[in-house]
Amino acid sequence: MSGHHISSAKFLWGVALALFVLTFITVAVTWIQIPEPWNIVVAIAIAVVKALIVVAFFMNLWWDTKFNVLLFIMSIAFFLLLIGITLLDTLYRVDPVPSF
Amino acid sequence: MSQPSATEERLEHLKHYFIDSDQQFEASKMGMWVFLVTEILFFGGLFLAYIVYRAWYPELYLLASEELHTFWGAVNTVVLIGSSLTVAMAIRSAQLNQIKGLIINLWITIGLACVFMVIKYFEYAEKFGKGILPGGYYTYDGIEHEQANIFFSIYYMMTGLHGIHVLVGIGLMLWLVYKAKKKVFHSGYYTPVEITGLYWHLVDIIWIFLFPLLYLID
Repeated sequence: MSGHHISSAKFLWGVALALFVLTFITVAVTWIQIPEPWNIVVAIAIAVVKALIVVAFFMNLWWDTKFNVLLFIMSIAFFLLLIGITLLDTLYRVDPVPSF
Repeated sequence: MSQPSATEERLEHLKHYFIDSDQQFEASKMGMWVFLVTEILFFGGLFLAYIVYRAWYPELYLLASEELHTFWGAVNTVVLIGSSLTVAMAIRSAQLNQIKGLIINLWITIGLACVFMVIKYFEYAEKFGKGILPGGYYTYDGIEHEQANIFFSIYYMMTGLHGIHVLVGIGLMLWLVYKAKKKVFHSGYYTPVEITGLYWHLVDIIWIFLFPLLYLID
């Protein structure tokens, strides 16, 4: 019965509250100017945590079958592969595409 | 092949090629996850374009994102997270056979989705008025950068595709309300509610990344 997990209303509100707090934090950290590469790292890290909270507790992947978890992980893996291989090209070009 | 047990009621939703409701539900949900994988890679291409151009023109992103209003981006983030909560509540209502609660939560979700689109409309209208249009139609001269149109091409593609997904979500939820009013859903069958919920949460997740990447980089 993995697909029929019923969350309590209190739990769902707690998840939403955590997401609201993280949204506030991600805005608040821009007020204290974090130096260059780290502001991006912090913003992405908070977004990843928020996304994982949604995936696990709103989309119920936490209680779902291992196969569905695998599907999700594979999509992220292939997305990272897409980024990685493309950047190996674009980062090392002497001249970016002309007129772009 | 096992027969549905006599205690199970209302099995008109059950297709003959499934053993029972649970198997049918699991199959549908797995199918939806496969679709969400394609959606992640679909948006992935746009996120990749964002990353490639940001690596090429880091200073452009800092300048151009000042044209975006962090406040409205944050409001839209809160609106979408709120709508994710109400969708989760709608699914919970369906699981508990509370059809009235299901319909109310769906209406709140539709309302929040409309708020999101209205805010997005005003953001777009303000930029169109300034001549901030995608690609070759870009005529704004307030940003000191030759390739300023590139940032906004990426901005319009990412938020535009996301906006289309929100509109599709509104349509799906109106259809769910219609079905729920016809008493189609109950605790033994709420697959379309669950599946639409998964879709809606993914749309929320896309925005969770778009907000810091586009609005919060100044």
